[in-house]
Amino acid sequence: MDLNPPPGENYANPRICFFHVLFKAGALAFYILSALFFDSFVIIFVVTVLLSALDFWVVKNVSGRILVGLRWWNEIDDNGESVWKFECLDQESLARMNKKDSWLFWWTLYLTAVVWIFFGIFSLIRFQADYLLVVGVCLTLSIANIVGFTKCRKDAKKQIQQFASQTIANRFSSTIQSAFSVV
Amino acid sequence: MYIQDTLNNEFYNVLNIRSKKSLPSGHKQSIVFLSKSPPHLSPIRTITTAKMSYNERDTVPLNQSSQSDIDEIENLINYTVQSGPATVLPARPPSPPRASIPVSSSPFIPSNLPPPSQKPPSVPAAPPPPSNRNTNGQQQSNITGFGSPPNTLTEPVWDTVKRDLSRIVSNLKLVVFPNPFREDPGKALRDWDLWGPFFFIVFLGLTLSWSASVKKSEVFAVAFALLATGAIILTLNVLLLGGHIIFFQSLSLLGYCLFPLDVGALICMLKDNVVLKIVVVCVTLAWSSWAAYPFISMAVNPRRKALALYPVLLMYVSVGFLIIAID
Repeated sequence: MDLNPPPGENYANPRICFFHVLFKAGALAFYILSALFFDSFVIIFVVTVLLSALDFWVVKNVSGRILVGLRWWNEIDDNGESVWKFECLDQESLARMNKKDSWLFWWTLYLTAVVWIFFGIFSLIRFQADYLLVVGVCLTLSIANIVGFTKCRKDAKKQIQQFASQTIANRFSSTIQSAFSVV
Repeated sequence: MYIQDTLNNEFYNVLNIRSKKSLPSGHKQSIVFLSKSPPHLSPIRTITTAKMSYNERDTVPLNQSSQSDIDEIENLINYTVQSGPATVLPARPPSPPRASIPVSSSPFIPSNLPPPSQKPPSVPAAPPPPSNRNTNGQQQSNITGFGSPPNTLTEPVWDTVKRDLSRIVSNLKLVVFPNPFREDPGKALRDWDLWGPFFFIVFLGLTLSWSASVKKSEVFAVAFALLATGAIILTLNVLLLGGHIIFFQSLSLLGYCLFPLDVGALICMLKDNVVLKIVVVCVTLAWSSWAAYPFISMAVNPRRKALALYPVLLMYVSVGFLIIAID
């Protein structure tokens, strides 16, 4: 997980990336700016929650499968039990996925959740229960998507381990190099 | 009543046919959304299947799983089960017949039909489809024969949207309207979705808020919070009474049963006569309760039916009072 998009590629699905970001940004922007324009809490609530729900739908049904090749859903089997399923494409298709797309996907996913948490803290501090309700709904939607997609990532653990070991290896080699250069 | 039933039946058949035409090949469609069969060709693997009973599940709200999800399950199972795509399998092996209307896969016919008619308060404008053709996947319009349907993972987004919308409508019909061909209520709302309830609750809140002359925001917030938490608490009530119902299924059901009250609130907003309001609210209240009754009563032990039903009726009555009292 690096802070910059991987170089050398363009987005493979620019329109889908755009929509992936659009509804998230729209919900956040509306929430922030609406206080300037609208007096009524009702409109803020309805539009923000609607945009957030649309974003949930888009991420879950569209950008998840197209940008990163993952999906998750719930079904009720014949015994009446509820089963959650998490799937990913196989390795070759996964390897063919555009790196920039998936970088954007994950970063925006986590970022929106963090921003909503901040807003939640603000409204807690200001004792605004109404706005806390809005933030709560949007936050649960974001977190649902995060949890769902993270469970899909078969290599999530492996990646984290790899990242950790890579960081340690980098530090180690750079320390050695600097040691040798000094000597 | 007979004529009404016939009409409904014909409508359902028409809906069936329309749905068959409007879906990609291999989609089996019925009023109760049948799971579809056909194997697809894209490599997909399940990595984990977390099987949880409704008691232990994480609370993941608002799962708008679409028909594409069920398609994908079908595809997955059939991909692993069978090798050749030549034959069309029936619904996934262990499932019981989920609809009374027999359905078979049909080759994809590009749809010229409009989507099924929508109820006015329920459906929003779907997000504009980002692309008509998925850049990754195969084209929808390539019909390679009776047995090889396109993969729903790569279907155009507009198809997913349409499918979700038609699912909302069919769920609505299933739950709220009289349907003599409805199968066991316990299984009827299997394809739960939370979009319908979401829009009904928001619409009810908006209507109440518009009707109110003062404190509009509070009315909306109270209505929304009351209905949302009420639905959750009622579901917990059924579960705690030892009932067998899935959490989201019950939420979905209680939300759909709000539809008559939505209609009542709309009428009350338009006409301000008190007597008319009382009459309308009583009628719609009775309708809502009638709609919710079979699902709840089937879910619990017969001796505890009243215990499960009473809070539901109480909630709808309180919403009814709210509608009458708003001026």
